[in-house]
Amino acid sequence: MLEQSQTRVLTCIQCGKCTGGCPEAGKTPFNIRMLVRKRQFKSSIDENIPWYCTSCGACTIRCPRDVKPSEMIIEMRSSFVEDGDIPVSIQKALENTSVQRNPWGRSRAKRGAWVEKLGFEVPHVSETTSKRLLFTCCIQAYDPRCMVIPVNVATILNKGGLEFGILGEEEACCGNEIRRIGESGLFEELQEENIAAFKEYGVQEIITLSPHCMNTLKKEYGELGIKVTHYTEIVAEMIKEGKIVPKAPYAKKVIYHDPCFLGKQNGIFDEPRSILKAIDGLELLEFSRSRETSLCCEGGGGRMFCEVETTYQRNSEVRVIEAIEKGAEVMATSCPFCVMTLEDPATEKGLAVKELSEILMEVI
Amino acid sequence: MKTGIFICHCGHNIKHTIDVKKLSQYFKKYPNVTVSEDYPFVCSEPGQDMIRESIEKQGLDRVLIASCTPSLHGDLFKDLLKKSDLNPFLLRRVSIREHCSWVGDDLEINTEKARRLILAGLYSAAHYVPLEEKVVEVTKSALIVGGGVSGLSAAAFLSKMGMQVYLVEKEAELGGHVRALKNIWPARKDGKEIIDEMVAELAGRKNVEIFTSTTISAFEGFFGNYEVTLATPEGEKKMTAGGVIVAIGFAPFDPIVKPELNYGKDERIITTLEFEERADTLQLPENPRIAILHCVGSRDEQIGKPYCSRVCCINALRVGEAVKNKCKDSYVESFYMDVRAHPRGGEEYFEDTQEKGVLFTRANVAEITPTPAGLVIRGEDTLFGEFFEREFDLVVLSIGMSPPIDNKLMATLFKITLDKDKFFLEAHIKLRPFDTAVKGIFIAGSCSGPKDVEESINHGRASAVKLFGFLNLGYAFVDPFISSVDPKRCSGCRMCETACVAKAIKFDEAKRVVHVEEAACMGCGLCNSTCPSSAISLKGSIDMMIDDEISALTEAI
Repeated sequence: MLEQSQTRVLTCIQCGKCTGGCPEAGKTPFNIRMLVRKRQFKSSIDENIPWYCTSCGACTIRCPRDVKPSEMIIEMRSSFVEDGDIPVSIQKALENTSVQRNPWGRSRAKRGAWVEKLGFEVPHVSETTSKRLLFTCCIQAYDPRCMVIPVNVATILNKGGLEFGILGEEEACCGNEIRRIGESGLFEELQEENIAAFKEYGVQEIITLSPHCMNTLKKEYGELGIKVTHYTEIVAEMIKEGKIVPKAPYAKKVIYHDPCFLGKQNGIFDEPRSILKAIDGLELLEFSRSRETSLCCEGGGGRMFCEVETTYQRNSEVRVIEAIEKGAEVMATSCPFCVMTLEDPATEKGLAVKELSEILMEVI
Repeated sequence: MKTGIFICHCGHNIKHTIDVKKLSQYFKKYPNVTVSEDYPFVCSEPGQDMIRESIEKQGLDRVLIASCTPSLHGDLFKDLLKKSDLNPFLLRRVSIREHCSWVGDDLEINTEKARRLILAGLYSAAHYVPLEEKVVEVTKSALIVGGGVSGLSAAAFLSKMGMQVYLVEKEAELGGHVRALKNIWPARKDGKEIIDEMVAELAGRKNVEIFTSTTISAFEGFFGNYEVTLATPEGEKKMTAGGVIVAIGFAPFDPIVKPELNYGKDERIITTLEFEERADTLQLPENPRIAILHCVGSRDEQIGKPYCSRVCCINALRVGEAVKNKCKDSYVESFYMDVRAHPRGGEEYFEDTQEKGVLFTRANVAEITPTPAGLVIRGEDTLFGEFFEREFDLVVLSIGMSPPIDNKLMATLFKITLDKDKFFLEAHIKLRPFDTAVKGIFIAGSCSGPKDVEESINHGRASAVKLFGFLNLGYAFVDPFISSVDPKRCSGCRMCETACVAKAIKFDEAKRVVHVEEAACMGCGLCNSTCPSSAISLKGSIDMMIDDEISALTEAI
């Protein structure tokens, strides 16, 4: 699963579909088509280059020869990881994950601390009858900006009458980013640890909060027989069934940004939109590049943990500018990484960025 | 048993690496071998005379000829046996040229290999029984499914040769997709004109019956006399057809499955087919900026279309040319991966289009984003190695050919195999490109893979010629190699029934055993190899023959 076969790389016809849709093309020195060409001839590449890739997956989804360029990047990174020839901040994130099971190096014992902010008890998943697990994700367990997301979602699910539990400190980083950084050994360790916990407690279903966790749990953990969903799927269904009713109006123009790992990589476009559309008074706007052509916020593929060398206009800024031009008052998204990258330019330009659950909390 | 063995030198072809004299001497000692000779050219007249004389004088009841490949001179030697009043199915051919003398040059090794090959033939021939080729009466009529250019061209030929033709078209009008095309290259005619000419040719002929808005509701029977039921607007019609030509064409690729192109979400993004229809009514600014995208729905693994559709590059050139002819100062940019202007004169046509000012950029466009000001195209100019974003007023998608919509339905009805891309599979890509596995059922045109107008017309005509050859005499020979069931061994498991592609196996509910409908059996051997009780055998190819051949080939040296 982790190896990109060289034979697919050899079939590349250099059509440029990958570069044409790459969020880094044109503005950074990163040219994915050229890297595939170099790979075919085993030419050496600059060690800084592979770190531009955001793992948005557009190239792999569209490649007419199924070369899987973004997977090839992971292979390139692994050889640099093996040689220790990687940015210091990436190295730090890997070390932290190795020790504390989260890239930020926060105490593992505090992973479940967010539940203290809830007005009700959340049981350990083993104590639930449904064996339904709410998978927190590292950034949402520790980052002060993102910690509100699990709190919100847990409250919403609880209101909708859905039983769920958590793993607390037994939960390890899902490894989605770790795999994309090229540390396959560590990824496998994390995978084994999580799978062992899922098996031990007989987990039947996992609700993820981050599209990144959902992606790897769903597609890269092998056949576990566990249903993995993103919380927006569950909430959209609950609204449809009338289990959650957005009561208060929200008279704002909201533009929705599709996260790559939720949208183009996993085809979840309509559920988050249906949640927003269910809110009274909310006017939903669309970016010119939305759904399958959504512009990546540049938070994925290890970009959360490293700064690339060149200065250029970040996609998050491009997004914020378009949102303001379109008259949006709030930019909504459903991924913690997107929230983090979009919020800086948005705050500077006076636009609010909200994770979907934040809007929902205001109306139910 | 009296077997005659004739070993050919084939000039030096066989003789120079096989000791033919040694072999002919060696086989003389074998019981059941009456004659064993070697001869410079067995296929020559004196060679044939030698065999005939031996048959007549020595009373041979098996003839084994060790020479070239059986597919060469097969009919010649069969006829020789017939002339000598010996059943032609008592002939055994052994290839010691292609399978032996041409392969290696060590005399000793080759001679030993040839000995074993001949011995295997001898063992096998011992089980031969006289078989009779069946003669079936055939109806001199053809069912042609599909009224596009291929179907029309097949109908034109067959009806001209006096054959009864039933032409069935699903749509209300004949002509298929070609009817909609304008200024077809290189004929420089509108499709409608071409179709009208082809239809006019059929119009006066009494032996042509055309059914439009008609589908096939049932198809049964065997080669030479297929029973067809049509669902016409006037009701059900039944007829007998000697053979069938399936020419159901293609389906235009629907770009909706490529969401990054935003087709269907903005009316300024159209396909080449839509361009044909709307070219004159398009609302465009004075000097429009037009982008043409090649390979939409072709050469794309992501959507299961890895093949090249062959016609779309020329179509893209036609669009560019049409725009430039109409508006010299328009900006036309064609985005391509490779320009495959493959037919004769295609490369020159490409050059002409370039001279007219159509720009060609080597890029597989990644995304089209509609904005009020224009359609933003995003891609990489792979020759400059530069990412670009350019704005256009109109984008034309040069769409490829997808398999016809009814491919699965027709495949089931006529027992045609689908290839990996879901087009119809020919019996042999080079040697039998018009045939299917079922005798008397042919395929024509783009239903067996993308083809241009010229190729489709030729393909239709070629299939018609083949079918005509099958039916023209009013009777046909059918191979006697058919399956038979030993009811004593049959357990009634009916696995053979599932395996049979010709639907020739019938189950007897009362006796709980199967039997073979001889007229339907194609002799493919599938039932034979499926049967767990070894109750089925193929006439002329029984298991014992194969067992004995193997023992001859593998016996200790």
